[in-house]
Amino acid sequence: MSDQSTSPARGTLQLVSRSTYVREWLLKSLFFACAFMFVLAVALIFVFVGFKAWPIVTDYGLGKFITGTVWSSGSNSFGILPLLVGSLLVTLGALGLGTPLAVGTAVFLSEVASPRMRAVVRPAVELLAGIPSVVYGFFGIILLRSIVSRFTGTLGFGAFTAWVVLAIMIVPTIAALSEDALRSIPEGIREASFAMGATEWQTIYKVVVPAAKIGIIDAIILGMGRAIGETMAVLMVVGNAPVFPKGIFAPLSTMTSQIVMDLPYAVGLHRTALFAMAAMLFIFSMLLVATVRLLSRLRD
Amino acid sequence: MHLAARYVALALVLLGLVLSSGCSGGAHPSNKVIVSGSTTILPIAEQTAEAFMKANPDTQVLVSGLGSSAGIEAVSAGTADIGTSSRDLKPEEAKLGLVDTPIAYDGIAVIVSPDNPVTGLSTAQLRDIFTGKIKNWREVGGDDRAIDLVNRDEASGTREAFSKIVMGKTAHFAPSAAVLPGTGQVRDVVARAAGAIGYISAGFVEPRFTNVRVKALAVDGVAPTKKSIATNQYPIGRTLHFFTKGQPTGLTKRYIDYVLSSAVQKGVVVDAGFIPIAEGGTR
Repeated sequence: MSDQSTSPARGTLQLVSRSTYVREWLLKSLFFACAFMFVLAVALIFVFVGFKAWPIVTDYGLGKFITGTVWSSGSNSFGILPLLVGSLLVTLGALGLGTPLAVGTAVFLSEVASPRMRAVVRPAVELLAGIPSVVYGFFGIILLRSIVSRFTGTLGFGAFTAWVVLAIMIVPTIAALSEDALRSIPEGIREASFAMGATEWQTIYKVVVPAAKIGIIDAIILGMGRAIGETMAVLMVVGNAPVFPKGIFAPLSTMTSQIVMDLPYAVGLHRTALFAMAAMLFIFSMLLVATVRLLSRLRD
Repeated sequence: MHLAARYVALALVLLGLVLSSGCSGGAHPSNKVIVSGSTTILPIAEQTAEAFMKANPDTQVLVSGLGSSAGIEAVSAGTADIGTSSRDLKPEEAKLGLVDTPIAYDGIAVIVSPDNPVTGLSTAQLRDIFTGKIKNWREVGGDDRAIDLVNRDEASGTREAFSKIVMGKTAHFAPSAAVLPGTGQVRDVVARAAGAIGYISAGFVEPRFTNVRVKALAVDGVAPTKKSIATNQYPIGRTLHFFTKGQPTGLTKRYIDYVLSSAVQKGVVVDAGFIPIAEGGTR
């Protein structure tokens, strides 16, 4: 610090007073510290989880862990394939249900709605994003599960129930980000389309949405991140059976929900397996973030 | 929090041991009772210990829940005054000179939806249902409807007891069963699904805070009534024991008498979902 403050002459701030310079430097350092702490936290979590999970490679075998089909702490068997499939099934189904709804909402908000309509719909969507996930889970287990149970004659736990709950949860994320993408398309492009004699609908699906394509895909991937990591709401409606489900109305389990179910009593290898599953989730979200970054580079 | 409480209790027990052994050749000071063992009995032991100490301010009742086997071992080794157990003594433990004071009965009811026409199952049928061998209610005299299993999580004492009594050592629960983390949830889910079957502590079959009904099945022809559980005719039941080395004396006896008093039996014991010892009659 003394080094820099004694020779401000070379910096761009040479025209301001020395105290201003110091203040500027302090603020810059503060912001750097904030950002650095974040990076440090992520690195520490990764190291901690990795360290705790490592014995799964040395003591159990990574192949057996990833491709094993039996998750049973009683018989010391920790194959996560059924949980992996469960997580993917629940996530992709929720995306399938939620994406059209979310993109439709975004198009409506950005292209169709009158300002007054926007003033009603937008806060409603934003409110959905702020509801704690356990509330969605409550809604899922009390109301939705009973309805599914009555119509199908099953317990009502399973992928379908999770899809509906998760779809409602990810719509705000995808809708808000998609709307941003759509609104970032310059007005001139729409005007050009109208000038060519295109109708409003033709402008939307032939011009505006394709132009915002990468932004919308970004939004969907971030929604996917939310869905795959969601725990409480999923735990309450999937039924927690660590098997390949026999249908969309049969109990299944996901990686996140299994961690929560098992953690209170897991010891030894079982605990290690839970940490290894956490490491898998970590890697998944890193891949998703990397994909988003790659896409935004494509857009630029 | 529960776990933390257990550690604290354990630490207190150890501390008590160190202090008492320092006093007079291993004998506890007469104002202290050490209670160790079953986690099932823990709620009863903790609540009664608290009330007992409040009523007798100069005494201490130290409670820990480390499992029934640990309790039996502790009391026979003299490191606890009372060993609590949710199982009977094994043949090799019978020679240890322990005196059994039953303090309550507990039964596990097998429940189905009230719409299910099946009224009873044998233990063997139950085992085949929960291993996933029997998949349709038709096979046990019910409607042509798939059986939906509802299981408890592995941390559950009810699951452990059910597993021990019904599944035995070789049979395993079907992994495709839904796993729910609480008695209330099992009850709620089974009540509303026509093909479901689950198990809960018998004290929770009758609705308490809800009007949702479930039907408890007879097992081996015996319905889970207070009487049949207390007299051991109902097969999925167990007695909760206090074991002492020789006849209880002094403060230990006073504490046991307090647990057996009708105020505790009709209060704490019933509230915890167990059946008071007096309702059992002779066995």
